[in-house]
Amino acid sequence: MQREFWAVVLLLLLAAGAAYAHTTTTTEEFSRYNVGWNGTSGLAAGEVHDLRGLDPGTTLLILAPNRPFTAEEVGNLRTFLDDGGQILIADEEGNANRLLADLGSTMRVRPGNLASLDRDHADPGLFTVRVVGNDTLFAGVETFRVNRPATVTGGDPLLETSILTWDDGDGDGRPGSTEAFGTAVVCAKEGNLTVLGDPSLFINAMFAENPEFINNLQPVQIDAAHSRTGTVNPTINTLAWVRETPVATAALAALAILPVAYVFGRKRDA
Amino acid sequence: MNARASHTILAAAVITALLLLAGEATAPLLYTAANTSTAAHADPATVPKESGKDADVLIPLMDDLLSETGTLTLNIKLKDYESAERDLARYAELSAQFDELVVTLDVSGNDIGEFQQNNQENLASLAALLNNTRRFEDLQRIEIEVQGDEGQGMAVVYEGEALRQKMQEGFAAYAEREATVTGIAGHYDLNATPYRESITNFAEIVNATEDQQEEVGGSANSPLEIAVIPDKGRYGDILSIAGAYTGGTAGTPIKVYVDSQIAGNASLDASGNYACSYQVNRTPTGLHLAYATAGTVYSTVTAFEVFPGETAITLAVESRTAVTCTGNLTTAEGRPVTGAPVLLRVDGTELVSTETDQNGTYTEEIALPAGEHTVRAEFDAVGYPLNASESLTETVIVQNEGLSPLPFIAAIAAALGSGWYLRRRHRPAEEPAAELPKTVSVEEESVAAPPQVEIAGLPPREAATVLFRTLRARLGLPDTKTPWDCVRLAPAHTGFFKRYEQIRYAGETPSEEELRAMEEEAVGGDQRAA
Repeated sequence: MQREFWAVVLLLLLAAGAAYAHTTTTTEEFSRYNVGWNGTSGLAAGEVHDLRGLDPGTTLLILAPNRPFTAEEVGNLRTFLDDGGQILIADEEGNANRLLADLGSTMRVRPGNLASLDRDHADPGLFTVRVVGNDTLFAGVETFRVNRPATVTGGDPLLETSILTWDDGDGDGRPGSTEAFGTAVVCAKEGNLTVLGDPSLFINAMFAENPEFINNLQPVQIDAAHSRTGTVNPTINTLAWVRETPVATAALAALAILPVAYVFGRKRDA
Repeated sequence: MNARASHTILAAAVITALLLLAGEATAPLLYTAANTSTAAHADPATVPKESGKDADVLIPLMDDLLSETGTLTLNIKLKDYESAERDLARYAELSAQFDELVVTLDVSGNDIGEFQQNNQENLASLAALLNNTRRFEDLQRIEIEVQGDEGQGMAVVYEGEALRQKMQEGFAAYAEREATVTGIAGHYDLNATPYRESITNFAEIVNATEDQQEEVGGSANSPLEIAVIPDKGRYGDILSIAGAYTGGTAGTPIKVYVDSQIAGNASLDASGNYACSYQVNRTPTGLHLAYATAGTVYSTVTAFEVFPGETAITLAVESRTAVTCTGNLTTAEGRPVTGAPVLLRVDGTELVSTETDQNGTYTEEIALPAGEHTVRAEFDAVGYPLNASESLTETVIVQNEGLSPLPFIAAIAAALGSGWYLRRRHRPAEEPAAELPKTVSVEEESVAAPPQVEIAGLPPREAATVLFRTLRARLGLPDTKTPWDCVRLAPAHTGFFKRYEQIRYAGETPSEEELRAMEEEAVGGDQRAA
């Protein structure tokens, strides 16, 4: 009977573990809680929810932004840049253009469907670009693999495609009569502000493609307040809130300890 | 279920659960995105690798092609034909590499494809330039050798004029491509200087040829004139080749030649004029030369141009014993194309050739096996100043001629024969079957002595079993017979056996009264009483 009890307990624990893993992960693109190929769970970086008092010795990564920045937050970012901090904005949908304008930058992200013949994969959007500028981010790197990037205009070019690149407007994967070849800049820089037209470089599936770049990025913090690195999963958000709220953590610990204390108390009385 | 079994099942469940979870731990499909490509990115691990496409050599190869044109035309201009041959071979080889690369990279749809097409035309132009220049130089040499022989001299002049016009035409086409080629070269930051030099060289070569031709154009002051009116036409047009012969007498026969082939005969009228008609039929697209002769007098050489025309071909198919294909081949203006070869492509591969008649109509019967077939008519236009055309693909179903009744008759006969044989073979075996178990009559039972049976103290169901066995033994039935068998073999005791069957198999318990009745029947008391 005793052995049966423990076996059942073991099964329940395993089931609970699987249920926990299931409810605390997500398939959302770029999410830090997505352990799949298109998540960013593998990126070693701290998360920042408040842009005040950022450490100027680090790089702030604004990855796939999808929420607007307030004037105060823009001011915080300006201060961070003026103090010597580095900001890397990785965007391919053009959502960062408003922030770039507010920061006084001439760089812009121009969404499109870049494709290239300079590749060793069958997918025309998964191709190689050349490092054309000097920057610590790309130190020791000559060529770079991008994953369906967008064009970046303005600034000093850091990454440029080969001339055999086209905007595949019709999405057929081959250059058509109205799709002329030409180079495109996918990463540019102005002072301490860098714009990268490919947030996909930070998904789990892409780490092995550009390892030097990921190493060069450190130390890095991710802006969790304005980007798609978060999640809409209520379980995850509740757990995150509990972790970040000391009172809630203490209350939860108390809830776990109370039944045990009660049982021990009854035994002693007996 | 005992404790041991429940433990075993539980242990198996635990092990199965552990194995299933361990398998999922490395690839947790439960919480991993199933698709491997989204609008934002693809998973490189799932995208097949491509290698050997050599996209990086595409632009340098274009540079090399442009560079080759400069050196090739320079060597032609310098009359260094050996070097020019080598250059041309190299240019052709690079062009073939480029063509292959364009196909491999699938880039024929944009300006690279346009560059490829222009390059192919440039290659053809330069190959023609080399050949024509060499031939023109040969003609200069021959002309010196045949001085004094007016007939041969005229032929040389004629060919020289033809070459000159071809080279001029070739240069015009080559120079026309300059804007396109240099535009593309500029886009890809290629060095177009050698290509521009090649155009200059080409022009100088053609100009030099014209100068030489003017010097030797001995027939320019011929008394026999010639003109083609109009000087351009299309398939089916009738051109008039006419002129005047100063000093000629009426009735003088005039022969008219087109591309050195006799194209018509005429004779001078009283005014000293002649005329004959020439129909554009199998006259290839391009420039053609005409001249006339009156005995030993040669006219000047004149040219006319034939333009290509579109064609349309129809196809109608009809299936009877064979498939009859008919249709018409006409120009875009509706003019019938006569005596032209037409290919009928059956099922995409097999070709059957036929020919149009004077009305541009063709008819062909094709024997095809039963089933569905596709047929398409094609006109390849080789040798005609016409563009190729093909009809819509028609589908035809060829019916089977009908099945022969012989196989069915043979099959039925075989079945009947087999049935008869089997019936005959099994008949002897069936006869003994008729002697199968006889039923036990009441008279036969009475012969047997009443058996002894003791059921006192036995449980009712066991007692019933003992009585069944007793009756079965008394009736002389084998021990292997079941109650149901016994019903069949001893129908007089049907009630006994059916009741026992209920007791034995339905689990019913007989009453004492029933047991007594059964005992009496088992030992034969009922019969004796009767």
